[in-house]
Amino acid sequence: MKKRSVITALFFAAAMSLAACGSNESAEETTAAAAETEAAAETGGADTEETEAEETEAAEAEGAADDLTGVELTMMVPDWGNPGEELLKRFEEETGCKVNVTEVSWDDIRDKVSIAAVGGQAAADVFEVDWSWVGEMNSAGWLEPIEMTAEDIADEPTIETFTIDGKILALPYANDYRIAYYNTEHFEEAGITEAPETWADVEAAMKAIKEAGICEYPFSMPMGAEEAGTTSLTWLAWAKGGVVFNDDGTLNKDSVLDALTFENKMVTDGYVDPAMRTATGMDCYNKICSGETSFMVGPTKFVNFISDPEKTAEDVLGKIEPILLPGTDGVSDRTMPLPEAYGVSAYSENKEAAITFVKWLNSAEIEKELYLANGSIPNRNSVIAEMIEDGTIKTPGAMLEQAELIKSPFPNGVPDFYAEMTNTIYNNVNSMVLGDQTPEEAFDAMDAKIKELLAQ
Amino acid sequence: MRKLYNKILPYILLLPMMILMIALVYYPIAVTFSYSFKRMKLTRPDDIEFIGLKNYIDVLRSEDFLYSLQNTVFLLIVVVILTTVFGFAVALILNREHRLSGLFLAIAILPWAMPPIVNGIIWKFIFFPGYGFVNKLLIALGIAEKPIDWISDRFLLLTVVSIVTAWRSAPFCGIVCLAGLKTIPKELYEAAAIDGCGTLSSFRYITLPLSLPFIGIGMTSASVTAVNIFDEIVALAGFSDTGKNLLIQNYLTTFSFLDFGKGSALTYVIMLLTSAIGVFYLRSLNKEITY
Repeated sequence: MKKRSVITALFFAAAMSLAACGSNESAEETTAAAAETEAAAETGGADTEETEAEETEAAEAEGAADDLTGVELTMMVPDWGNPGEELLKRFEEETGCKVNVTEVSWDDIRDKVSIAAVGGQAAADVFEVDWSWVGEMNSAGWLEPIEMTAEDIADEPTIETFTIDGKILALPYANDYRIAYYNTEHFEEAGITEAPETWADVEAAMKAIKEAGICEYPFSMPMGAEEAGTTSLTWLAWAKGGVVFNDDGTLNKDSVLDALTFENKMVTDGYVDPAMRTATGMDCYNKICSGETSFMVGPTKFVNFISDPEKTAEDVLGKIEPILLPGTDGVSDRTMPLPEAYGVSAYSENKEAAITFVKWLNSAEIEKELYLANGSIPNRNSVIAEMIEDGTIKTPGAMLEQAELIKSPFPNGVPDFYAEMTNTIYNNVNSMVLGDQTPEEAFDAMDAKIKELLAQ
Repeated sequence: MRKLYNKILPYILLLPMMILMIALVYYPIAVTFSYSFKRMKLTRPDDIEFIGLKNYIDVLRSEDFLYSLQNTVFLLIVVVILTTVFGFAVALILNREHRLSGLFLAIAILPWAMPPIVNGIIWKFIFFPGYGFVNKLLIALGIAEKPIDWISDRFLLLTVVSIVTAWRSAPFCGIVCLAGLKTIPKELYEAAAIDGCGTLSSFRYITLPLSLPFIGIGMTSASVTAVNIFDEIVALAGFSDTGKNLLIQNYLTTFSFLDFGKGSALTYVIMLLTSAIGVFYLRSLNKEITY
């Protein structure tokens, strides 16, 4: 009887573990919606060396001249990365290559790619590559390098994010970088007529707006225990101190601690809604559109939202202006990119066709089409400039100017332990704003973990 | 010949299922077991090697494991208690026959039919740290002056998660208990009434002891649910350290940090821990009922 109980219990346990796997699968989908917000930057060395032989390839991509008749590609992207029926049909007409798209939730893609890779398989020929995944995907050998011309690289600063050791590992399709937004009406009511240029200006403005009773919580910034918590600290340290990571990959104490102290002060001085300490990044960003906050630094796509009556409250429409990120002595000379890209699987059986497709999507003409199809902000500065000029992008503010200041905060590229590092960073930031740690303690915990990861 | 055919037939009929089970269940379990003895981080494809029990030692020594184990035990206890109490109460209410019994039964089952993630998202709005439903209600009733941040404190968050999970798992426990209540012969109550037994005594000496095996099934199911909580935690608090249980720690290690070696070891540690729960329940279920 005893033996039978133990054996049955083991089956019970096995059943629980299997049920757990099922639970994981479905839950991964959960976070996808929230994860939409994130994407960012990095790498060093967008080498210009590999320029020569690439021109031919670029020309092919532009015109998609290759005859790929009969080739079928699979593509796995989140809903916002789907190029849409029309563009896929056009690619098929031009090349004869059919592309079958599977829409998968954002972070589910990473799991599927990794599980397939364990078995030496391609989850799809072309798949989503977030800026934060590129380091680990490079180390794991899951991405096929793509060659681009020097001209393309110069026009697309975000390509640098997906370049490691001179290899371009994915081509960006959704440009996202941090840009500041402020409510001109709130500032004017508080007697401030100029846009803030330094973080000291921001702090003074927040004080004036709150004290005048114009807005209860004038400052909005993601501080929750999620990816947006990490990226917020990163762009703040990047814009304020000009450095986040030292050359050896460790955190720069002066800059990061200064950013943590500023973030904490915004909370303790009552400028940030306490609910935002546990809310998602999107909840924080949406406050600018609802008029519940006066200043934020957020995703580029809000440039579109602030002129969209469906996204922005009626009494706020036309009163929000995108401006350059503040710095220490004046506006900052840098911003952090958070782009998303299409990558080609190293296990794909149709690598050439997949590369042709990805380059076609990345071409200037198609980037513009892609914006119209799914709202992806173009990566090419020339396309952004053109779209601002022809009025396709309304209320751009400092969008183009800011795009020209994109620089990656990772001197050695996004590390392959990014997932573990970000988990430590956002949990400590969150713990600090909840009052469980001082900025110094939060920094020490992050620093120790990153040093441990580097040592490994 | 006929005899041989009859002897072989059951095995032939079982064969397709056996093949499926071996391919889709036992093989992955065995492979996971082999991974647990290897250094196997997907970002280091050239550094995969046998390291014996090191992954198990690292996992058991890690603070993350102990923290998430504590959270898991808390969730297990609270979810089982809430599910059993509410499930059995629902069963007692539904056991009373009247015209709307069918409708009440359908309403009671609804939360059970809800996907965990949908459940989590609905409750997220209810417990939203700003002006969620509960906060609005408390402020309107004058119980609270400012919104309460339900998900920033560790045990407050775990309590909320327990309530949300129990709300989903109590209906199943209720239905199982209801099935048990329906099997109790009416004669027992009639005989007890003749002997002068009141409602409370009938419950104490007839209803409760005869329902114990069914309550046991409900508790077992609630335990499985409690150990497997994932979606509700992610929907309410994401992957924050505050509310992470063993399952979330396992997910992070394996799929987020891509450490399949440690992740596999953690899977087996979880399996052994849940075996202990299995033994406990099976022993309880096998006890003879006396009344």
